[in-house]
Amino acid sequence: MTARVLFPTQEIGSLAKPRWQLLGQRGEPLDERARAEFRAADDRLHFAGDHAAARDALLDGRSREVGADGVRDLAALFFLRYLEAAGLDRVYDGEARRIEMYEYPIRQMHGFRFEGHVRSFDSKYYLKAAVTDEIRLDRPYHVEEFDFVRAHARAEPKIPITGPYTLADWSYNEHYLARQRGWKGRTARRAAQREFVVDLARRALRPTLAALIERGARVIQIDEPAAGTHPDEADLVVEGFNAATDGLDAEFTMHICFSNYRDLLPALLEAKRCRQWAWEFANRDSPEHDGYEVLRALREYGDAREIGLGVLDVHRDAVESPERVAERIGRAAKYLGDPSRIWVNPDCGLRTRSLEVARAKLEAMGRGAALARAALEDPRR
Amino acid sequence: MLVRTGLTGPFPRSEELVAATRDLDRGRTTPEAVEALYAAAERDVLALEERLGLDTVTAGYLRWADLFRPIAETWEGFTVGPLTRWFETNTFYRQPILHAPPIREPGALAARIPPALRSDPSRARVILPGPYTFAGLLDNRSGETESALVHRLGRLLGEEVRELRGLGYATFQFTEPWLVVHPPEGPRAEAVVAGYRAIAAALEGGTSIVWTYGADARPAFDVLDRLPVSAIGVDLSDTDPERIPEAPGGPGLGLGVLDARTTLAEDPAEIARLVRAIEARRRPAVTWLGPGMPLDLLPHAPATRKVRVLADARKALGDGGGP
Repeated sequence: MTARVLFPTQEIGSLAKPRWQLLGQRGEPLDERARAEFRAADDRLHFAGDHAAARDALLDGRSREVGADGVRDLAALFFLRYLEAAGLDRVYDGEARRIEMYEYPIRQMHGFRFEGHVRSFDSKYYLKAAVTDEIRLDRPYHVEEFDFVRAHARAEPKIPITGPYTLADWSYNEHYLARQRGWKGRTARRAAQREFVVDLARRALRPTLAALIERGARVIQIDEPAAGTHPDEADLVVEGFNAATDGLDAEFTMHICFSNYRDLLPALLEAKRCRQWAWEFANRDSPEHDGYEVLRALREYGDAREIGLGVLDVHRDAVESPERVAERIGRAAKYLGDPSRIWVNPDCGLRTRSLEVARAKLEAMGRGAALARAALEDPRR
Repeated sequence: MLVRTGLTGPFPRSEELVAATRDLDRGRTTPEAVEALYAAAERDVLALEERLGLDTVTAGYLRWADLFRPIAETWEGFTVGPLTRWFETNTFYRQPILHAPPIREPGALAARIPPALRSDPSRARVILPGPYTFAGLLDNRSGETESALVHRLGRLLGEEVRELRGLGYATFQFTEPWLVVHPPEGPRAEAVVAGYRAIAAALEGGTSIVWTYGADARPAFDVLDRLPVSAIGVDLSDTDPERIPEAPGGPGLGLGVLDARTTLAEDPAEIARLVRAIEARRRPAVTWLGPGMPLDLLPHAPATRKVRVLADARKALGDGGGP
């Protein structure tokens, strides 16, 4: 194994889909703006060279001829080159083929019934399903997507996959709750949720992870954004993670964001095969509040795993300066007491920002990591 | 046994309304078209509540963005702040930021009550934030202490109640999850009681219900039982029904018997058994049945199924129309 540079960089998840992808995969001809964006991106990244026929058809208004899958192939190539051009050490395809992180995996399973939309806030909604029967997986998912990335990535691929706890928390629990006797109060609800999480882990996640590993996946990010919703269920997050990864050999990371991490400790530390915590910090970091101070807690508990250090706020357009990124890395290194454990990444997926802003942020992140590296090598800087 | 039923929070928007509000955001429809859908959807919720014989009606509060927004957007002293998680759910509210002691805007809240309720306000349930939850969840930059703010908000909500009583509204629910998630003690508890005294003084024969959810209510009963209100509501999904303390002569009791966190429908006969057991022990003058958490944590179809359970539970308890 080759030694890594200090403060390697990685992405976390999804990116905003370009206009040409959205129009193209719907079978609509590209408008002038979409064509211009495609040409500019290809001029810069040369992503479509091996798919010249598809590129030409798309630019010629023949989206239907390319087909939705063909357009998504082009988009996946675009995102790989986009992230590689930003200098990232670990990349994926911007989740170009995924609508979002809940509906797609649930649709690969039997035992669920989609119930309709729930309001998240204002006029934003999400589709939510209920588990109504035994969970059964037709076949592992994300496999073809990973095959494509592996075949085309020049940097090391890291595949993200929604974790069992989040899939359970974002679903309604009917099947397992119905099996509980008596009034369905807090105790019954928790017992039912535990069964649900573990079944999801064993019957859906683990076979999928095993298939991905068999196809060559070495770094797998388990996304558990729901982990902070119910802090007293941190043990269920862990139980799901351990069941999903049981007996599997890969480098597993766990991404959690917008949570009070101290509330999840020390329970979370029992996630046995998790090698890296990829957490959001920049969003909560301000002159009034040190967003990285929570890292002290890991040191207090003696946890020596890697940290995927969120240094880019995905909810603001303002681009962090490289100096700001470097300062954040330096502060985190001080709290952890070991700079070699730090990977540098955005807080979360950058799909909330335009591709232009995301690119500027990622480039600043790379320059910031280099500054932090140089400062450590030459403390006078 | 006097049993009353009613919704305790917003009802979910129909799938048609979901699509329309999304389209409005994307510029694919007009505000007028969405307004017409809101009006029709409110009438549908009202018709459902009436068909099922609920004692109070809400028309769903479909337009309310969150519990605080009607006040935070109209009273002086507030701005609307960042998205913030609503307790342990995957829904979010915009945290009100209070920059100075708030000043109530007369008529503003009345204008935001669903139009479908205005023709017969006597049966409407007006849903408001409770002063303790409001004070506890806003970003207080006003310089006032939390206890003083709780009391002040109680007085202002009392003024609101007085105005709405004048318009014919009679039943007021104060939504107070914070009371059980962070039960107040000492001066804060006294401020809560004082806030509700101010509300009670304005009630003039109306009904006031404090509705809690989000945590086991037992640690909060010392305060809850002191509140000068018509009923206190607890969510039986979080509070063990068998451990609700006795309080003969205390306020009426509200029981959250529908769990909005699951699509699994409750058994009306089991609800009836629980309610009878609790009433035998606590002997409330009146028992209000409703969902614990607001039903808008569910999509429209399962929420509609659940609210039917409420009516069936009422039937299982007998007619519920008298002592």
